[in-house]
Amino acid sequence: MISIKNVSKWYGDFQVLTDCTTEVSKGEVVVVCGPSGSGKSTLIKCVNGLEPFQSGDIIVDGISVGSPKTDLPKLRSRVGMVFQHFELFPHLSITDNLALAQIKVLGRKEDEAKKKGLALLDRVGLSAHAAKFPGQLSGGQQQRVAIARALAMDPIAMLFDEPTSALDPEMINEVLDVMVQLAHEGMTMMCVTHEMGFARKVANRVIFMDKGAIVEDANKDEFFGSPRSERAQAFLSKILQH
Amino acid sequence: MHYNWDWGVFFHSTGIGSEIYLDWFVKGLGWTIALSLAGWVIALLLGTVLGVMRTLPGKVLPRIAAVYVEIFRNIPLLVQLFVWYFIVPDLLPEGLQTWFKQDLNPATSAFISVVLCLGLFTAARVCEQVRTGIQALPKGQTNAAYALGLRIPQIYKEVLLPQAFRIIIPPLTSEFLNIFKNSSVASLIGLMELLAQTKQTAEFTANLFEAFTLATIIYFVLNMGLMLFMRWVEKRVRVPGLIALGGK
Ligand SMILES: Nc1ncnc2c1ncn2[C@@H]1O[C@H](COP(=O)(O)OP(=O)(O)OP(=O)(O)O)[C@@H](O)[C@H]1O
Ligand SMILES: [Mg+2]
Repeated sequence: MISIKNVSKWYGDFQVLTDCTTEVSKGEVVVVCGPSGSGKSTLIKCVNGLEPFQSGDIIVDGISVGSPKTDLPKLRSRVGMVFQHFELFPHLSITDNLALAQIKVLGRKEDEAKKKGLALLDRVGLSAHAAKFPGQLSGGQQQRVAIARALAMDPIAMLFDEPTSALDPEMINEVLDVMVQLAHEGMTMMCVTHEMGFARKVANRVIFMDKGAIVEDANKDEFFGSPRSERAQAFLSKILQH
Repeated sequence: MHYNWDWGVFFHSTGIGSEIYLDWFVKGLGWTIALSLAGWVIALLLGTVLGVMRTLPGKVLPRIAAVYVEIFRNIPLLVQLFVWYFIVPDLLPEGLQTWFKQDLNPATSAFISVVLCLGLFTAARVCEQVRTGIQALPKGQTNAAYALGLRIPQIYKEVLLPQAFRIIIPPLTSEFLNIFKNSSVASLIGLMELLAQTKQTAEFTANLFEAFTLATIIYFVLNMGLMLFMRWVEKRVRVPGLIALGGK
């Protein structure tokens, strides 16, 4: 489904990604972790072409992200993305946030788009808030709306970039619950997160990044049982302490 | 100083038909409003296009908009007016030139020059406000819009501009007020807007203080009206649950 092949990226002289190679197959949940600044966000943004890369290629559902001939907006409309800071559109009601891209990108009729949005809002437990604006919701609620907004496009895969790290602790679980449910339904997911409980519960594989490189790419049990690299071991012991 | 105030002067006949001096003020106000509104429409449309250009990816379009702003913001308004009124018509093709200089009523050709001048001058200022508004939005908004598959024109129309405009209503209001003040340059090329009518009344009647007091009151009421209107607009588009957009 998502195939990352020898991707390297530079900001000027500074190399952010070094020869990253990995694969996310259909229905697989892959968790990406690693220290701050290791390039996790950059890598995941390369997958839907939000960040360009200079060498290597990424193939999403048979389409090359790196090729200049690819219709990137079209490709992006098929891959959902959820951000750390939710990024709902603050000037639009929740209903309109959910409907906007369905109408403008997929060409759905307004009532059809709204109906679909409402159904997804119900699924994340927020149907009572349809008429509100993002600023009137808590962080956890906004993030659930953001997930619903991405799902409204019927994505073939979902990308998450630290979806819970901007949330107050008591709101983290409501968002993780939605993600766990998605995983159980067979959604293909690539998640940058430090929520190791989530990784343990639903991940198939865990990727550990350091200094722009994929240091460890292992089966979940292998990763938590006996990480090969020292850096991953150190990272794990630090993160699992608290 | 002893001065005999005579507020009745505005109701005296000007000696032209049944016209009284107050009629001059009304006509002048009409020109002032027409000049300012027409200029503002141009400024707002062109300024928005330029402001968007300044924030687009790539090099060429942002550069063009930046050069425009430098030129139109830094040349004094009066110089620009003389260029539009005295020089540009001479550069027009033959047919247009005779149309502009001979067929058009002199007031109309002056009107066109002033509207263009005010519109293009103010567009440079609106451009900078629009650019500031767009750049004040978190980068994540653009990324989220891209990630949903929206294309650049849609991103500006649906996501960036509606938010940017809400942020810049206060500075846009002062540009809107400025265009009313600046419209008085029209008097220098003989267009009888409010200031020109005021001067003329003062000369004809020798009631200088009354004439300028009335003009001051009219400008003041106009300003207050516009400000109240913009406040109303601001309130109408206010987003529930949002104290200040942008930032972060
Ligand atoms: N636009 C940019 N220009 C230059 N350097 C950048 C830019 N964006 C990111 N970087 C650098 O690239 C590196 C990787 O950044 P990235 O955001 O991908 O890290 P991350 O693993 O997601 O970190 P975090 O856990 O803090 O989110 C960092 O060192 C960062 O400073
Ligand atoms: Mg990051």
